[in-house]
Amino acid sequence: MSKVNDRSRDIGEYMMRPDDDIIICRCEEITKGEIRKAVYEGMFTITEIRRYLRTGMGLCQGLTCGKLVKGIVAKELCVSPSDLEAAMSRAPMRPIEMKVLGNEKRGGE
Amino acid sequence: MKRYDVIVVGAGPAGLSAAIEAAKRGLKVVVFDENSKPGGQLFKQIHKFFGSKEHRAKIRGFKIGEELLKEAEVTGVEVVLNAIVIGLFLDKEVTVNVNDEVVHYKGDAIIVATGASENMVTFDGWTLPGVIGAGAAQTMMNLHSVQPGKRILMLGSGNVGLVVSYQLLQVGCEVVAIVDAAPKIGGYGVHAAKVARCGVPFNLSHTIIKAEGDQYVTGVTIGEVDNKFNIIPGTEKHFDVDTICIAVGLSPMSQLLKMAGCNMEENPKKGGFVPVCNEYGETSIGGIFVSGDVSGIEEASSAMIEGRISGVAAAFRLGFIDKEELKAKAGELEQALLSLRQGMFGPGNKGKDITKTEEDCDVSINLLKKGYMTDEEVVKYPGVKSIKGIHAVIECSQNIPCNPCQDSCPKKCIRIGDKITALPIVDEESKCIGCGMCVASCSGQAIFLVNEDYEEGYTYVTLPYEFLPLPKKGMKGVAFDRSGQEVCDAEVVEIKSLAAFDHTNLLTIKVPKEMGMKARFFK
Amino acid sequence: MENCADVIIIGSGVIGNAAAYYLAKRGRSVIVLEKSGNIGNGGSSRNGGGVRQSGRDKRELPLAIYGVKNLWPTLSEELGMDVEYYKDGNLRLGKTKEHIKILSNLSKNANESGLDVKMISGDEARKICPYLSKEVIGASWCPTDGHANPLLTTLAYYRKARQLGVRFITGEEVSQVKKIKGKARQVVTKNNVYEGENIILASGYESRKVVQCLTFDIPMNRVLLEVLVTEEQPPMFYQMLGTAAADFYGHQSKHGSFVFGGSSGYEAFNKDNGTPTTSSITASAVCRGIMKYFPILADAKIVRTWAGWIDDCVDHVPVISFVEEVPGLILACGFSGHGFGISPTVGMLLSEMVVDGKTSIDLGAFRYDRFRAKI
Repeated sequence: MSKVNDRSRDIGEYMMRPDDDIIICRCEEITKGEIRKAVYEGMFTITEIRRYLRTGMGLCQGLTCGKLVKGIVAKELCVSPSDLEAAMSRAPMRPIEMKVLGNEKRGGE
Repeated sequence: MKRYDVIVVGAGPAGLSAAIEAAKRGLKVVVFDENSKPGGQLFKQIHKFFGSKEHRAKIRGFKIGEELLKEAEVTGVEVVLNAIVIGLFLDKEVTVNVNDEVVHYKGDAIIVATGASENMVTFDGWTLPGVIGAGAAQTMMNLHSVQPGKRILMLGSGNVGLVVSYQLLQVGCEVVAIVDAAPKIGGYGVHAAKVARCGVPFNLSHTIIKAEGDQYVTGVTIGEVDNKFNIIPGTEKHFDVDTICIAVGLSPMSQLLKMAGCNMEENPKKGGFVPVCNEYGETSIGGIFVSGDVSGIEEASSAMIEGRISGVAAAFRLGFIDKEELKAKAGELEQALLSLRQGMFGPGNKGKDITKTEEDCDVSINLLKKGYMTDEEVVKYPGVKSIKGIHAVIECSQNIPCNPCQDSCPKKCIRIGDKITALPIVDEESKCIGCGMCVASCSGQAIFLVNEDYEEGYTYVTLPYEFLPLPKKGMKGVAFDRSGQEVCDAEVVEIKSLAAFDHTNLLTIKVPKEMGMKARFFK
Repeated sequence: MENCADVIIIGSGVIGNAAAYYLAKRGRSVIVLEKSGNIGNGGSSRNGGGVRQSGRDKRELPLAIYGVKNLWPTLSEELGMDVEYYKDGNLRLGKTKEHIKILSNLSKNANESGLDVKMISGDEARKICPYLSKEVIGASWCPTDGHANPLLTTLAYYRKARQLGVRFITGEEVSQVKKIKGKARQVVTKNNVYEGENIILASGYESRKVVQCLTFDIPMNRVLLEVLVTEEQPPMFYQMLGTAAADFYGHQSKHGSFVFGGSSGYEAFNKDNGTPTTSSITASAVCRGIMKYFPILADAKIVRTWAGWIDDCVDHVPVISFVEEVPGLILACGFSGHGFGISPTVGMLLSEMVVDGKTSIDLGAFRYDRFRAKI
């Protein structure tokens, strides 16, 4: 059950910080500033940040940056990182070639 | 479709242990692991484990891995390597990528033991080549025999940071400093002491400001932080390094469970995002279990026990054993788990400020801040006594569940008792014969033999020594104290390497008489 | 009162967000209520991104053509955000004589409604897209079709509407829409009551549950569809792709990854656990479908698969309609898996329904009361 989350509530304004250009999502090369700015554009959840910026959509599917993105978004929203719901996890757990994924067998056959 | 009784994902300590317990009870078990070698993190752990005999204390991690593998083989567990479980679907179906195929399997029960991945911290320059996880450095060194770098800064003073720092020294790297933003060292004092006496300085309440370099790391600047973790201007320190190791914790790799639809929770005490599960590791989906780091970050010893519990629980769920056996075996295992979770570093004490040991001794502040005890502090502990003739000096000052020293002494000079977190006591009436078994058995390398009465004007100190090349008898060198400072000249009088010591060599040096309680390392 | 607005919109998908934007542009106050924790969590973030006119039911063509002509080309500029709209055409591929027959019929029907789609040979298709397999013998080609990024489009409408003062509230599940003195006015959630002159119901399949309390029904089914995504590839082709045999559909995104949907054949029967779960067989089937037409992609790595539900209306076109028996209520749901391409048009028309009481494009074919027995 999701908590009621009014997107018009006052979270202040985006202000530049000196470390805004540090890359957070290495796979997609998204910076801290881009993530912070996105919050002020209305992206209050990890899933929205992900769909908006592509953080966590690269080859490692968020294994490296997941915790970092959560921390950054939580800080801007003044909530605990534990209050933010993680993005969905999906198959394949590791990148897999189309020809391999298409080469299907049933165990025992 | 091929259906196993139990499908285990991950052939690490938890996964193999689970598979063994299930197979022992007649279940048809398969274990899939994405690596080319089984054993998970075990094969990277070249140090001796803590705990008690039932926890496989004083055995090196990779040996435990070998033992587990053998046991798995003997009990008929099928282990498939280079097999990536790419999805866990409804109806307990998995798809596995093996070679160039994707194969569907079903299990009546699934045990997910996929372990954890390393956390990252960001700082200016963290994406430069040369910034690596401590686990990655360990893989390079211990699995591939590759030196990760020449001059290394370690970020993180938990057990991983401390243990990997020591291993970096063993492969000939220079560890220029261990840095942690926290005000106290997070890992065991004995692990810190091992590297402190080799001269590695600790910088607590510091963090990395910037990793320098154009194409790769060439240096690093650290700075002190205040209690709000802001950098205090003017406290910058620079080191020339080519590698920065990050050891800032692990996060459970619970993606398969989330995908399957298990109820999950964000639990900082467990390291992150974990499935909600009961005492058997069963998740909200009946028949899907978790054990090991994926269910909450601890260590290999607890992972093995959790694995066994899940294996037994799966056997019960599938009707291979009855409730009595489940309760009995699980109860026994839960006791073992509980005893591991005692002491200063137990999960119940996380975040607490502990100032006294269970025996009411002061916890060494210097040990927590600098990684070594002062001369004044060390004599306060029950393992440190002044005794005529050769005797053990046990510089063990924190309550950790660990007792191999007690069992190692043939003359029963060392006593811990039933509560294995108790600090070891050296018997004043000790009849020490100087065999050195205690020195070699201490996984924390915290036991020394001291003899102030063998030769006039000199004290003989026997140290645990795990570096190559081994010094030779007669060699002259320098003795270092607990803080890594040179204190006096020293001469090697003996170097003993017995099979029973399991690669912990005993190095006996002679130092001027008054240095006996100072000299703790030799170069 | 805080929870009052001119319009209450239920559902923050691309339809709801677009309507909110166009309404705000025309000076109306709007509150958008979203049941889940995320904006656009339903079909809007789970589709293949097609912005096409071809291959549609005749009834939808005017909406699709209007959008491609008037709204999509300037949408990024208007919303202040790149929605990655490409107008590079749509190739629907065929390998057998039967395929070609199907495609020809589709094209002919579309021509009759004024759409510029035509049949081309396999070689002509390969001239447009050199990566096609040699086995393709022909295709239908619609040069004004294209694709866009559904995630960004949904969030772009949200972002801009929010900037214009629209209040979006997630985590608000609607339990009841209440008539007050004969007019639909109140929207009741677990914790709050919202009130508006107009209520737009745009929550996909869930709309069916909501209208239950108003004692009527929308005959829709929930069907589970899946998509797979590859790693970034060098730019190969930007046409929207599909096949006569419906093996797969998709495109290469601006990012470089390929986004392909397809089916195993079990979509109407696939089970789930209450969330859109992927099945163990669909992605593999889609891969095989793709490789038959694009052998070059055999080595491309799949990094993700995902699933979503479509709200499939019984006659496969949406309900976009006033509901005279429930004054104040406007329906916009049942888009049956092809709502994305017409979403800007529908959003615009919904705003017209509220502000002008009528629409500039005839919506007669989408009435809520069109459903009759077959005999």
